[in-house]
Amino acid sequence: MIKADQLCRKFGETYAVEALSFQVRRGEVMGLLGPNGAGKSTTMKMLTCFLPPSSGEASIAGLSLQDSLEVRRKVGYLPENAPSYSDLDVRSQLKFVGTMHGLQAATLTDRISEMGRACGLDQVMHRRIDELSKGFRQRVGLAASMLHDPDCLIFDEPTTGLDPNQIVEIRHLIRRLGEKKTVLLSSHVLPEVEAVCDRMMIIDRGRLQVIGTPAELARQAEGESLLHVRFKALADGVFEQLVQTFPELEVKGGDVPFSYTLTHPEPDLPLAEQVFHAAVASEAVILEMQSKQTTLEDIFRKLTGGEQ
Amino acid sequence: MNRIMAISWKEWRVAMDTPLGYVVAVAFLLAAGFFFGNHLFLVGQAEMRGYFSVMPLLLMFFIPAMTMRMLSDEQRSGTFELLATMPIRTIDIVLGKFVAVMLQVSVLLALTLFYPATLALIGNLDGGQLVAGYLALWLLAAAYVTISLYASALTDHAVVAYVIGFGMLFGLFITTQAMVTFSPASQDFITALSPITHYQLMLRGVIGLNDIGLFISTTALFLALTWFQLERRRWR
Repeated sequence: MIKADQLCRKFGETYAVEALSFQVRRGEVMGLLGPNGAGKSTTMKMLTCFLPPSSGEASIAGLSLQDSLEVRRKVGYLPENAPSYSDLDVRSQLKFVGTMHGLQAATLTDRISEMGRACGLDQVMHRRIDELSKGFRQRVGLAASMLHDPDCLIFDEPTTGLDPNQIVEIRHLIRRLGEKKTVLLSSHVLPEVEAVCDRMMIIDRGRLQVIGTPAELARQAEGESLLHVRFKALADGVFEQLVQTFPELEVKGGDVPFSYTLTHPEPDLPLAEQVFHAAVASEAVILEMQSKQTTLEDIFRKLTGGEQ
Repeated sequence: MNRIMAISWKEWRVAMDTPLGYVVAVAFLLAAGFFFGNHLFLVGQAEMRGYFSVMPLLLMFFIPAMTMRMLSDEQRSGTFELLATMPIRTIDIVLGKFVAVMLQVSVLLALTLFYPATLALIGNLDGGQLVAGYLALWLLAAAYVTISLYASALTDHAVVAYVIGFGMLFGLFITTQAMVTFSPASQDFITALSPITHYQLMLRGVIGLNDIGLFISTTALFLALTWFQLERRRWR
């Protein structure tokens, strides 16, 4: 449904998005992850025909972006910060957006009440938008983007500014939408992407780093043994024997005194056991020992340069 | 067409719901009333000449105020992104805004019809001249609106848009006023191209095709420039 092929966007001499290729299938929610300035919004702006790509191609529902008027009919777009006309009341705003998408008056009224209910706007329909909280404005933007019942939804940070209850509601809504439609959403909240998305991709400095289901990504990074250990006193000698047995073992000092992080590229090594025996042999006292699991957060930090 | 009307309707709602529209309307009617009454009591004749002759100056202050936020605010608040990703052409956006301001201007001008109506009660009013005067005024207003709308497309700040719009209109006004100081060749040039000289010609009660043609082409030129400016923003 959404297909990007070597999509590039240059601002001056620097690339905001560089050779980005991916596909989002129908009935799938895809999460677009990355640190600030990674090119998430630029990618979405290109897919919604707001910015033309510098090079590369993309298509939505089989239509090339060149066919921009038709593409816009198929896409529901929530821009970052959900811009809306602050002088209008909620109903007028939705009516305006619906009319611009060519909805007839009768259909429009039905769709407004339907989307208003789905996004929890019933009580604020007649309030002016500039009197509403950030969370409500966000929901007005969401409702507006879905009025014309588009096949493909593109949400730029849909849950910013919402409180935890609203976040859960909106996630449910997106999950429901994702059953029938194609959804691409961006976020830098990892648990959110894990909870909502079928697949996710991480981009950094405009380049695609990795793409797959959350489980796949976790497995990809899992391929190493990781152990954290803290001694009572300096215990550098403990590891001498260990490093000889496992030449690939990497020992790093931690932030806390006498603590170490051990990593080995092979998974499922009995590292804890070995460290225990070595410590007993050299009479070092272990205060703390923990095998670590790689999380999505670790993958994210590793891929986007948060961890050097 | 529907979409152009939707944009105009939205702008109309905003003008009706916010203080700016009313402030502009009240200030305009007070100023227009002052110049109308002033001339009437000074000259003591049932004619609208004083009112019509001051209008190019008066509209110079008010029309940029009506258009200043129309395009600049869209860009500042990010709603332009919303508009630009809807299935509409850029020209629809420009025309929608233009129709919206013209609607407001027409209402304002219609409200001033109260003055000639009073005059008709106390003296003999030349109907033909009045019609020609209002037509000229309306056409001049259309040219002013597109010039100020273009100014609004140039910047993200409403106040800057006002200053640019006012500046362009003032430049037009001052070149027409100071025409006698220029060489004869440039005088002919200004007479031919300045909407204000054509407005003054029409006030005499003669509606020339070239006058109307000039107003329409000025309006069209600035609509096109506005379109070009937005299109450039959209695809940059």
